[in-house]
Amino acid sequence: MRPSNVALYLPVLLMCGFLAAGAANVLAAGDPPRLAPLPPVPEPSDNKTTKAKAELGRLLFFDPKITGDASLSCGDCHVPRQGWGLADPISRGYPGTVHWRNSQTVVNTAYLAKLFWQGDAGSLEAQAEAANTGAVAGNGSNDVMEARLRQTPEYIKRFREAFGTERPLINDAWYAIAAFERAELIQKDNPLDRYLTGDKNALSAKAVKGKQLFEGKANCIQCHNGPMLTDEKYYNLGVPRPKEFEETGLNQVTYRWEIYQKGLHEQRYRQWKDDPGLYHTTAWVRDAGKHRTAPLRYIKYTAPYMHAGQFFTLEEVIDFYDKGGGENEFTKRYGNKTRILKPLNLTKDEKEALIAFLEELSGEEIKMAVPKVPSYAVKPDVPGLTQAQAKRIGLERHLPAIGKK
Amino acid sequence: MSTSTRSASLLWLAVTGAAAAALMGMSGLSCAQGFPAIGPLPAKKAPNPGQVEMGRRLFFDPRISGDGAISCASCHDPKQGFTRQVDNKGKPQALSDAYPGTSHFRNSPTLINTTYKAGFANAGWGWAGHMGADLNDVVRDMLTETLVMNMDMRLMHERMKQDPVYVKMCQESFKGECSSGKARSALVAFMDTLVSRDAPFDTGKMSDEAKRGRGLFEGKAGCIACHNGPYFSDAEPHNTGVPENMEVFKDPVRHLTYRAAMSNHGVPRTEIWRRDVGYFLASKNYADVGKFITPTLRELKYTAPYMHNGVFSTLAEVVDFYDRGGGRDDPLAAELKPLGLSAEEKKDLIAFLESLSSTAPVTVQPVADIPKEYAPIKNFLGAHN
Repeated sequence: MRPSNVALYLPVLLMCGFLAAGAANVLAAGDPPRLAPLPPVPEPSDNKTTKAKAELGRLLFFDPKITGDASLSCGDCHVPRQGWGLADPISRGYPGTVHWRNSQTVVNTAYLAKLFWQGDAGSLEAQAEAANTGAVAGNGSNDVMEARLRQTPEYIKRFREAFGTERPLINDAWYAIAAFERAELIQKDNPLDRYLTGDKNALSAKAVKGKQLFEGKANCIQCHNGPMLTDEKYYNLGVPRPKEFEETGLNQVTYRWEIYQKGLHEQRYRQWKDDPGLYHTTAWVRDAGKHRTAPLRYIKYTAPYMHAGQFFTLEEVIDFYDKGGGENEFTKRYGNKTRILKPLNLTKDEKEALIAFLEELSGEEIKMAVPKVPSYAVKPDVPGLTQAQAKRIGLERHLPAIGKK
Repeated sequence: MSTSTRSASLLWLAVTGAAAAALMGMSGLSCAQGFPAIGPLPAKKAPNPGQVEMGRRLFFDPRISGDGAISCASCHDPKQGFTRQVDNKGKPQALSDAYPGTSHFRNSPTLINTTYKAGFANAGWGWAGHMGADLNDVVRDMLTETLVMNMDMRLMHERMKQDPVYVKMCQESFKGECSSGKARSALVAFMDTLVSRDAPFDTGKMSDEAKRGRGLFEGKAGCIACHNGPYFSDAEPHNTGVPENMEVFKDPVRHLTYRAAMSNHGVPRTEIWRRDVGYFLASKNYADVGKFITPTLRELKYTAPYMHNGVFSTLAEVVDFYDRGGGRDDPLAAELKPLGLSAEEKKDLIAFLESLSSTAPVTVQPVADIPKEYAPIKNFLGAHN
């Protein structure tokens, strides 16, 4: 670059620098995003919600055909009557296994950009596939799951209607499940939404006080903000190690498998005894024990709480924050406990108000009967196959025999 | 073949046979027909007893399948010649079970002498010869295949590490901590012990019928053309026109299992096939549709039913099938011809086939002390993972 050009560009470069610095200052000094009513459900451009997809997705959500041994479905760990999660602290797993984290509610997950406690699925479609194929979750493999769908005439028809394919494709199953979640498992217009859009009677006086604490003295808003009451960022709060890791053989098997298969330096594999969370994504020790801020909508129905269900009640959760959080293996080892947490000195009334706010914003329960899923059918013959085609694939001789059922 | 050429051949064999056998392992050349000679299986180096014992425990342990429901012994039952002949209610079973939620579309082959397949140059294990370059590979495939054990082997080694018995066995027999590699080696060591014992053919104590049957086997019946060498298999794919077992397509779960296996191996248009494509699975050559790798004939007495899909339940049916010149299928014509065997000859042939089986069934005792639960590791927090 010649000097004359530098002279030309220099003011522009400087200006950019000032602008960048200015923006950073605004962000640093700014308040966290405010609570907000839920906007319309976002839809990815490659999976627009349709009635056909959503209805298909509802069947698939409850259909055990799309797991390894066809014995459990999404609905077995995301039970409608258990807040579309599971009431166990640590989720059940695939038969013969146990999971290592708490099963979260599916309600309103359409609004999240990061799924799972580790935030490592970027869409509902990706989440559904990961859950149905993981060894301690669905343990399904694509070829078998797809073959099961293709052996089911009702699914052949419904996949054709929903996706226009001649035969079911397993990838479309995840798309249909995501469409179902976006269409049916949304709880909008709950008391918080109504309050925020101007209906000042939507929340009780006690809950309004709780909301003020949430946004003020208790400082929950620092992380639980925006329409989903989560910033979708990662923190180590010092939540204690789940006691199951220490006490139960099956949990120890799964714990070691998780940290082994997710990839861990051997020394850490040998020594660590707690869930490294975000560390598995970044491989930075400062991220060990961090999990994505949980959304708080529907919380009344989704006990127990925290990434391994360490707390059974909201009272326990509030007490935990009131003490300024806790300590765990990683906060002790790496000093990475979030500095946001400080003792809150909440009074008994204040704690009750906070809980009233959380419970009221949970709204009405989403109830749904488990649908009857379609059955396999015998398909001994090959409809529409011409004699020429049959001959080419050596099937000619068998056509009369296979016609007999 | 004239008597003189046979004598000449035998003389040639006497001179060169030992050297040839030593050089060529299982494929020592036979008489003028040019087929590898049948004979006793070559002795194998005895495996490490500790490793065998660990393999035996793994063989019976359902915890090495994904959902903990089945073990190797579920489809290779030591009481049934390491195959599956009857279901849990005692009903004959031509087609094997498979992982829960699926049902297999082929007969479960015996594991007795399977260790000798390592000598095959052209085909791997399985009826379609598509599996494994060695037995260790096949064990891996069986453990991880969705239709078989559906096991994540990393989860398997963590399960083993939770069982103090395996921890001790791995240390004692492999000098290290449990791993999927050690588990596979142990299972291979165990299978190295599953070999024919004192078969009349091997000990030379054959009946007169069996001796006559051998003559037919190597002569008029022409079995030797494919069933040759000490393992009684040429390790090649052949289409003998075995009838399809239509149960595969009349049972939706077997049918979908078949389709899953086909699509997994890249077979096109799985919705159309109503026959087992056989070796096509491996070769993707349409001329190979309906071909299967020649199975061993050893231990036939204990391993009914026969053929890749178990359609024949007795040796008499099998011999009748070949006597007719096999079944009808296109590429068949060149391979099999009607044999014109008399009833007496058929009996002799069957007597010979039975002489290839051990005098007593090859079996092992199940391992009784396999726990259903995982005990917690004491001092988990202080122990190294």
